[in-house]
Amino acid sequence: MRRGPTWPIHLALLAVSAVMLMPLYWVFRTSVTGDNIFAYPPALLPRHAHLYYFVDVWYYVPFARFLVNSAVVSLIAVASNVVLNAMAGYALTLEFRAKRAVVLLLLSCMMIPFQATIIPAYLITKELRLLNTHLGLALPLCSTIVCIFVFKAAFDAVPRSLIDAARLDGLGDLGILARIMLPLSTAAVATNVVLAFIWSWNNFLWPLIVVRNQEMQTLPLALSTFLSYLENTTGALYAFCIMALIPGLVVFVLAQKQFVEGLTAGATKG
Amino acid sequence: MIAARRWRRQGMVWLLLAPSLAIFFLYRIVPLGWNAVLSVQKWSPLRPAEFAGLYHYEEMFFHDDVFWTSLKNTLVYMASAPIGIALALALALLVNAGIRGRTVYRAIIFASYPLMTVAVGIIWRWLYDEKLGLINYALIRLGVIDKGIAFLDSFIWAMPAVIAAAIWQIVGFFMIVLLAGLQGIPPNLHEAAAIDGAGPLQRFLSITVPLLRPSLFLCLVLGIINSFTSFDLIYVMTRGGPNYATELLITYIYRAAFVLSQLDYAAALTVVLFLLLLGVTWAANRASGGEAGAVEAAE
Repeated sequence: MRRGPTWPIHLALLAVSAVMLMPLYWVFRTSVTGDNIFAYPPALLPRHAHLYYFVDVWYYVPFARFLVNSAVVSLIAVASNVVLNAMAGYALTLEFRAKRAVVLLLLSCMMIPFQATIIPAYLITKELRLLNTHLGLALPLCSTIVCIFVFKAAFDAVPRSLIDAARLDGLGDLGILARIMLPLSTAAVATNVVLAFIWSWNNFLWPLIVVRNQEMQTLPLALSTFLSYLENTTGALYAFCIMALIPGLVVFVLAQKQFVEGLTAGATKG
Repeated sequence: MIAARRWRRQGMVWLLLAPSLAIFFLYRIVPLGWNAVLSVQKWSPLRPAEFAGLYHYEEMFFHDDVFWTSLKNTLVYMASAPIGIALALALALLVNAGIRGRTVYRAIIFASYPLMTVAVGIIWRWLYDEKLGLINYALIRLGVIDKGIAFLDSFIWAMPAVIAAAIWQIVGFFMIVLLAGLQGIPPNLHEAAAIDGAGPLQRFLSITVPLLRPSLFLCLVLGIINSFTSFDLIYVMTRGGPNYATELLITYIYRAAFVLSQLDYAAALTVVLFLLLLGVTWAANRASGGEAGAVEAAE
């Protein structure tokens, strides 16, 4: 189909790639040198690279504490997303009264962005006495409608005969879900894990509202606090950025396929 | 016997659904109603609620300039969505052109989307810096400007600067959605049109664009939602400043509720935001002939 040289396409895409990567590279470079533009002439490659700023961040703020907070919240969110979404997704493959109503309810809930619920969500969390707790931070993220439908689609693809055979052998619904559906839907599980992790790891608005003291801060919140009182600690600030970005980047690189599949499935299937 | 088993199955279904439904009930449906109730009350955590009718709405529409500014800014932010989508379409076409290394390009362009937005905001804040920023440095070296511009402190530049950073982060996501759409177009359509003598531009306009309509409208709807929910980037880059030049409805809601402690007023703002969002997405959906489907991936 293609005719003509491909180099103009490569050239354009290389230019775009440079624009996409440059900010990240620049942050990385500064985090290992502390040089700003003023290191004249500004060097593209880091000279005298060192990790002092990373060490600085580790000791200057309770970084380990923030990391643990972020990890615990993400762990709760990921685990409950997989379990709860799989349960709900499986329920939607069964026949029951009011199924249409439930599906409709879920689709309408999708139309309510979390940002439009923050005030009552804060008051509810306060009533539940979950302000400033890991559970309170994770609770609104513990089940995701898109992911329920990802599971439903995966479970619908499991052959009917397999399920009937299992039922004849005396397996109940929970057994079918745990021993047949989930092992056959590893892609859907991976999608759930990746999406729930990225969403909870990067979440900022909710921790900003719910967290009351430094001990409970998650990484994004700690990073924005760090920015507001240490405006000019160039090297350390960008080292902090890199440290907060790395887990998300690693997950993205390892599970890019599942991430893309989850997003496009959620985006294109009605 | 059979009836009992049916009941047990029904019970099982609801048991499986219950935890998820409870979360959505608690954090989606109840808040929707509570917002509406709170918006017609005078209330603060230290004071008993008192019915206030449309007091807050009157205040908002007739006496609050910041509301109008943030509404205008939200619409400007929203109007920038097509720019990002057009860029994403160009990128999707290039990546889809059957060249080598396409997966690498795709990954690089998409990689900014899952990044922590707070960190992205900090990075861009610094790129825009008047004295230390890479952007000013590059512009000066290229001879475009003589001395640095304080982009984020400038009444004119702050909004475009924030929008550019937002596009940088989301363009890869739009590209992925459009790529999925492009791959759904049967290649033989293009071949047939080429045999009939249609040039590349004509094929693009009469095959690619019409068949890509659902994906394009989906991007548009997601872009609209994004403009109503973009909080992190603004909070980190400008805090809504200078002088409210980048204040969006969502950042104003946060400030009213959790900085100024006017939860009742913020609830009224939220009701307006939600109705506006519903109205705009409904209009976009209608314009697309319902092709964008239900609004998915709204997280």
